[in-house]
Amino acid sequence: MILRIGNLVIKELLQFGRDRLLAGFIMLAPALQLILLAQAIDRGITEQPVVVLDLDHSRLSRQLMTNLDNTGELWVRFEVDSPDDMRRLLDEGQARLAVVIPAGFARRLSGASSPQPIQVIADGTNTVAASVTMSAASGVVSRFSADLAAGYGLVLPEFIDFRTAIRFNPTMDLRHFSIPAQLGFITYQVTLAVAALGLARERELGTLEQLLVTPLRRSELILGKGIPALAIGGLNFLAMWAISLAVFHVPMNGSPLLLVALTLLFLIAEVSWGLLLSAISRTQQQAILFVFIQAMVDITFCGYLVPVKNLPPLLQAISRFVPLQHYLTIVRSIMLKGAGLDELWPQALALALLSLGMGVIAMRSVARRLE
Amino acid sequence: MSLRRLIAIVRKELRHIVREPRNLFLVTVSPAFLLLLLANIFSFEVRQFNLAVLDLDQTPLSRHYLASLASDGDLVLAYSVASYAEIEPLLVKGEADAALVIPSGFAATVYSGQAAQVQAIIDGTDPFAGTQAISALTARSGVFVAGTEATGLRSGEQPVEVHRQAWYNAGLESTVSMVPGLLAIVLIMPTMALALALTREKETGTLEGLFATPVVGAEYLLGKLLAYIAAGLVSAVLALLVAVLWFRVPFRGSLAVYLLLAADYFLACMGATVVIANLVRSQQAAMFIVLIIFVVPSFFLAGLISPVSTGALASQLASFALPATHFVEISRMVCLKGLSLGQMIRPALILLGMGLGALAVGLFTFRKKVA
Repeated sequence: MILRIGNLVIKELLQFGRDRLLAGFIMLAPALQLILLAQAIDRGITEQPVVVLDLDHSRLSRQLMTNLDNTGELWVRFEVDSPDDMRRLLDEGQARLAVVIPAGFARRLSGASSPQPIQVIADGTNTVAASVTMSAASGVVSRFSADLAAGYGLVLPEFIDFRTAIRFNPTMDLRHFSIPAQLGFITYQVTLAVAALGLARERELGTLEQLLVTPLRRSELILGKGIPALAIGGLNFLAMWAISLAVFHVPMNGSPLLLVALTLLFLIAEVSWGLLLSAISRTQQQAILFVFIQAMVDITFCGYLVPVKNLPPLLQAISRFVPLQHYLTIVRSIMLKGAGLDELWPQALALALLSLGMGVIAMRSVARRLE
Repeated sequence: MSLRRLIAIVRKELRHIVREPRNLFLVTVSPAFLLLLLANIFSFEVRQFNLAVLDLDQTPLSRHYLASLASDGDLVLAYSVASYAEIEPLLVKGEADAALVIPSGFAATVYSGQAAQVQAIIDGTDPFAGTQAISALTARSGVFVAGTEATGLRSGEQPVEVHRQAWYNAGLESTVSMVPGLLAIVLIMPTMALALALTREKETGTLEGLFATPVVGAEYLLGKLLAYIAAGLVSAVLALLVAVLWFRVPFRGSLAVYLLLAADYFLACMGATVVIANLVRSQQAAMFIVLIIFVVPSFFLAGLISPVSTGALASQLASFALPATHFVEISRMVCLKGLSLGQMIRPALILLGMGLGALAVGLFTFRKKVA
């Protein structure tokens, strides 16, 4: 039995290696993707172009402009004198934020009888960027205002002194957050796709019938199809894990052994699911369509782009059945927080149940479908 | 190259698309379907933070302060703990996003006219969430300061005040911002269908049959491309209907301009796909490459959630090379800003250049030969 499965695994790997371009792509692209995405999300939202409509032309308005430019988030790219120019720059997307300093701003400030308005206009087409740039600009104006008040001898009430301590990722490095997530995500993507196409391809090309007339048992056929997918996914994981640690210096605070063990559990769940999709599709195209929709669903439910607790209750309940969601929590908690089984047992248990359940369902329905 | 034969190919392809329900679904309906699925999940408005609170003061003022923090629902006082030791496990498990420690003597210090220290411990694992938690805490504390000030504790006036505004999406609703952006991603599906159609003919051997006819390579490729662009436009209309009727996204531009630029976008994506399909032999390989080159990076690099990075050159180049980056921009410009074609000429020409360039390479590398 071991021999028969071994032979099938060797056949699968040989077949995989024959399409050089595809094999190279599957082995290299995930690592490249990790590096590229890590580069892209290194600093979050920075240096967003700002247009300042300065109708005052005073020393103070110039000072405010310099303060805006000195933030990490904003970059004063344009100074204009007419509202039409401001509108055009926002329309064309050349500026993402506009700051309007009204005429007479400095003159009326020196009287300081009533608060002087500064208008901040964000391009609302991207709400994430809009809220970040808006708060950055408001922060600058508030500090500017506080400095002025201090200069006038007005003391601002400040009776709560915040001491902020940041745990697990003290520099709030975005990479330390996104790389473990990408690591889990890319591993997932490769494993599922490789597993899902295995049977569908044989069926479409008519070679499945040939396999079925060999002495291979159904369960052996399934294992023989599953193990190569597991191996390819596992190798991809190891390569990207090494890159995360060596190139991007993501901390590894928890136990590597635990991470590997839980990764294996996760891969079993994904391979089972992939084989199931593979068995219910008649053509590769259909399998691809299933994988694609599955990937879209998983991306949205896994808690990476949108935190799970922001989802409506029904969708939160559904997300419990998505292995990727548990796995991403595991990768992140082990690597950054140094969590062990004491904290992660609910996720580990969920993953174990899901991989067991999916494995059994896949075995049964694939075997039935092959009749 | 003959127009008659080209038209014959286009008609043959359209019939292929319409005849097979799965194909028809993939090309025309799947973008609208995916949009429905994705947009519901991506439209997150508020982000709630669970706080673990250690109140060592236990005075009316400290309770009043905590209540004021929780008053607008962003911050939830999820756990009340009695010692420092209880904070750590809550943060490691991710059950609390931040912890707040109010020292004993808090009220006494405030009433004596000094600043009382409050310690905030933030989970920095997710820097976006961490930063938001810090600003939510500071903002709510600011309101508390202002509130007590009204009771006569302190007085003071801000010399400058900020007036905030968002254009094109006045309520900063994330659905309004996300749905036009997501259109660029879901409209990759017709390209995926073309990639599969081109490689399927190779795999099943029907390409050989076609080569026995007088059809030349350019007619074959252009015919397929035109048929899939036409089908893609149908899918764009369906997806746009979902966006406008279901998600209530304003549509301020012209439909004709939108469809023209959508065709431009399809040309850029499909041109690149023709090159890919020339290089690979199987549908499996084509799907992988489309998934890894177009779909996944488009979620992260095309400016859908975070704006296009202004940091590393490599990621700026990658964003620029992704057709979706330009169509995310265009889609938001037409829907939300209602711009004319002339105002969007830059992204439109970039896509056209990409499409024609890729198509030229595709025609050049296409070999009308039997493998």
